Amino acid sequence: MRSISRAALRPYVCHSCRNGIGAGRRRFATNSSQTPEIYDVVCVGGGPAGLGLLAALRASPVTSKLKVALVESQDLRKARSWDLDSTQFSNRVSSLTPSTVEFLRKIKAWEHLDVDRVQEYQDMQVWDGETGSRISFDWSTETSPFEDMRTVATMTENANLVRGLLSRIEASGDENLTLFSNTTVASIENGSDLQSEGPDLSAWPIISVAPTAPGAQAQSPTRIAARLLVGADGINSPVRSFADISTQGWDYNRHGIVATLALGDPDKPSFPANMRTAYQRFLPALGGPIALLPLPNNHATLVWSTTPENAAYLKSLSTPAFLAMVNAAFRLSMTDLTYMMGMERSSDQFSHEDELIWRLQHTPKQSQIPPSATGVQEGTVASFPLRFRHASQYISPRVALVGDAAHVIHPLAGQGLNLGMADVAALSRTIEYAVSHGMDIGDLLTLERYSSERYLPNAKIGGACDLLHKMYTIPGQGPITWARSLGLDVIDRLPFVKSFLMKNAEGY
Amino acid sequence: MASLRPRSLALRALRTAPTSSGPLYRHTSRLPSLLSQRSPNNRSHSTSSVSADEVSHFSKLASSWWDPMGPSRILHLMNPLRHEFIASCLADSAPAGSPVPQSSTPETAANLDYLDIGCGGGIFAESLARTIPLDRAASAPTPTRAASMTAIDPTTTLIQIARDHARMDPTVEAHMRSGRFQYLNTTLEDVLAGSTPASTSASTPASSSSPTGHQQFDMVTLFEVIEHIDPTTTTPQAFLANCLRALKPGGWLIGSTISRTFPSWILNQVIAEAPWPIGVVPRGTHEWSKFVNPSELYSWAQEGLMRAADTNVTRAGPAALDGMRWKCVGTIYVPGLGWKIVPGSEDWGNYFWAVKKGI
Repeated sequence: MRSISRAALRPYVCHSCRNGIGAGRRRFATNSSQTPEIYDVVCVGGGPAGLGLLAALRASPVTSKLKVALVESQDLRKARSWDLDSTQFSNRVSSLTPSTVEFLRKIKAWEHLDVDRVQEYQDMQVWDGETGSRISFDWSTETSPFEDMRTVATMTENANLVRGLLSRIEASGDENLTLFSNTTVASIENGSDLQSEGPDLSAWPIISVAPTAPGAQAQSPTRIAARLLVGADGINSPVRSFADISTQGWDYNRHGIVATLALGDPDKPSFPANMRTAYQRFLPALGGPIALLPLPNNHATLVWSTTPENAAYLKSLSTPAFLAMVNAAFRLSMTDLTYMMGMERSSDQFSHEDELIWRLQHTPKQSQIPPSATGVQEGTVASFPLRFRHASQYISPRVALVGDAAHVIHPLAGQGLNLGMADVAALSRTIEYAVSHGMDIGDLLTLERYSSERYLPNAKIGGACDLLHKMYTIPGQGPITWARSLGLDVIDRLPFVKSFLMKNAEGY
Repeated sequence: MASLRPRSLALRALRTAPTSSGPLYRHTSRLPSLLSQRSPNNRSHSTSSVSADEVSHFSKLASSWWDPMGPSRILHLMNPLRHEFIASCLADSAPAGSPVPQSSTPETAANLDYLDIGCGGGIFAESLARTIPLDRAASAPTPTRAASMTAIDPTTTLIQIARDHARMDPTVEAHMRSGRFQYLNTTLEDVLAGSTPASTSASTPASSSSPTGHQQFDMVTLFEVIEHIDPTTTTPQAFLANCLRALKPGGWLIGSTISRTFPSWILNQVIAEAPWPIGVVPRGTHEWSKFVNPSELYSWAQEGLMRAADTNVTRAGPAALDGMRWKCVGTIYVPGLGWKIVPGSEDWGNYFWAVKKGI
């Protein structure tokens, strides 16, 4: 019986094993170590960017015949079979701009996502905790009152996106696709000139991949040659090190706290009924903004950028105290918040909850604040350091960097993943152009099309996020505070400036 | 920087000169530019369209031919447009080509044999060879539908550069091994005389022969060549007639060149060959007086078609022009944006042209 299950598993079995299982042919290890198997595109890193590139290449009729491989150290089978109850949400959530969703639809990956787990929002309220100046991002100036409100962004769990992309890639599987799952890059080096035996691979990267599974270490690593080696391997990219590309940047000395929260009922029902809102309040005194982004079933994901000390303090709090702090952060004045951030952790007399209730009585009632957070999903409170990095270049002969390997930015505008997907869309377009014009897809003349399309937009968005972070971490009532509030108020009242900014941020 | 590059390379070559010996140049091909200057190793031809000055100029550029930031950058950037122009010619009217394998339709079959005259370091030839499917029966991956590519150039060093570079791509290398892609250090006159060494080998792609016995091709390409023809030994018109002789009936002769007008003089002589940072091509690459206007080319093509149809006993008349087609479109290089096809800009400088031989 030629079972279906083998066909389904096929992409997850590495090439050499596949030959071993399938054909029962004998192969000598020495043979395979002499001549590497040649691939058109080898993508290191199976995150959203790497998988997005593969899915895009498989989706285009021009590039679907390319021989492609993906190298991922995690178990892709686990990612493929990821499943959570409909009331549970992963804490790794991303905001997808309409252009990213458009790209996912174009490569026919969107239909592989569980759409019951994604949440669109049509309005974003951003305000300054110091002065209260506020801006509301929605598309009402661009649409007529009779239309549905246009989506500002779509929230999705990264796991849902990764599973969908894997499913899309799997659906296109054939002999030109190899997924090296549970596999790390042991080394990357230049190939050699095979002289009269074959081609001159001395300028080609040869990747040695080794399985991470215990017991498999004894196996000799598989050697694969890449016409184009794509680094989608994150901030500490081994591909970037191989290509000897430097990065500039700094650590923000801030941590982002994430958590999945259950929300109470809003004070007044939203209108129209299906409209959802995202909220972000800048807290200059605490070192960064707090954001609450909607998820389905009246849930939300929290992203709170703050100093490492505050982050450690918040993570050590009991669940009710943590919730009180989150609700306080959207409601209380900077002075009250700073006080509460210094309260003793577990004192019976003065709990964070009571403190919040008492202080709220003395705080003027605000409009447009998020509903109260009423519960924290167990095990979802986590934090990660915030950094800024930008590679000095994205390309080198036969190497291209995408996503976090090329740029890491402050998450305050939720743009990180979208920039990575825009990279992938541009790189797949570049490869498509090259294939249809006889160009070598690893050649610098080909890759410079990708780099010139993406370098400046990424630098612009990354720089804008950095500037916003710096402006909004200056506490007190000084001239900068006055200027930023004036700026926010002015932009909110000038529809064309606001829609220009939004179009830039959304990638329209 | 581009225009300064060749000079510094020539200097470097001179400094290391004594270490190489002339006759061994094929094996010590690291300094081809120098060797070609010192030893006259270019094939000598009794009746050749090749200009000695041109050969020595391009030999000097040889080592940096494939440098994406080098003096040939502007040619590399133009290359994708050549594919697009060929595709547009084939979309208008495609030659029949070799018999189509059962598995593919005539519109997508990779069954056209190409001859690239004056291939230089192989910028176009290699890119076209890359589109030849490895599986002969497979349908063509690009609209250019190449089944084979024969590329010729009189400059020995350039052919060596081209062969060395082609080996760096396994796909192209496989085509060189199978003989579906070949570089020949020869002239068009020798190809027509049938004296090409490789044309007798068994691996030569199946090209039909003309009544006079030489090889003929479905597609003949002539990119940036006609303006480099030596006026003392031949005329562009006679050369064009020879190109048309190499073409099968129904095939396209496709080329690009520069027109000889005042705007093109400003663009190509004054601006493009200006010192760095303005100039983009090395000084001495072009000679304005050799540039060709579209109208001249059109009349030469007509004359050439009739001459190509002449036989030893009869002279072909205007009947040879039946079924002829003519295409011409200008292109402009915009710094920062690259090459753009701009219809109507033929008189401004660079343009693509194509002649289809009637069946």
